[in-house]
Amino acid sequence: MTPGDATGPDVELAFPAVEELVTLARFTAATVASGAGFDVDEVEDLRLAVDELCASVGTFGDGSSIRLNLTRRGDTVRIRCVNEAPNAVANGNGTVDDGWRPSEISEQLLAALVDRYAFERHNDRPCGWLEKERGRTGT
Amino acid sequence: MDQPTRDGSPPVVRLSGEIDLAQAPDVQERLDALADAGATTIVVDLLEVTFLDSVALGVLVSALKRCREAGGTVHLVVVEPRILKVLKITGLLDEFCIHDSLASATAPHDGSGT
Repeated sequence: MTPGDATGPDVELAFPAVEELVTLARFTAATVASGAGFDVDEVEDLRLAVDELCASVGTFGDGSSIRLNLTRRGDTVRIRCVNEAPNAVANGNGTVDDGWRPSEISEQLLAALVDRYAFERHNDRPCGWLEKERGRTGT
Repeated sequence: MDQPTRDGSPPVVRLSGEIDLAQAPDVQERLDALADAGATTIVVDLLEVTFLDSVALGVLVSALKRCREAGGTVHLVVVEPRILKVLKITGLLDEFCIHDSLASATAPHDGSGT
């Protein structure tokens, strides 16, 4: 696989929602980004962005897990992050209510670091995704 | 453990490596301990920090608010472009007193920042 290839292998990573393990997400994102030909700054942008994604979606210390799907299509890396806990909540009250949002600082960082991102609910679980294109984001 | 200094200079909290949601609680504890001990101005040395996320930034902002309420501030020592970029993106570059050396950060200040 070279950076010029149109499609990279899809990567799936699942780990317990433990703070110390989020580094796995950063490492995996950096590996996929490097394989896609991202430069050093872009790789670092993606490392921080995926950290923000995990920190926003994850409910740490409740026995849940985080599942990441990393795909590469052309110059774009897409990362989807899902909280895998049954009835997981980002607000701690038993349901994912409509008011759940990541922190303002997280949103500021994501808006600056990636080309597209969104948070949503998937089967009542916190979920988020981002896309970053090589040679595009100019922060 | 970080301790307030006796020579009048602000206490220094030295951080290193990747400061993320796993490390943030420890940083919070150290900063709170200094504030509890009476420190109103704190220097946070980020020279050896290679990664800072929003959770860590939240801890620093929390310390800044507490210091400001006590009439002081938080000085950050940072030269790493990645860290400066994060502070700039979040609009915090103008909120903290930013220094490029520990000597500058611990020098006597008038409390108005850099």
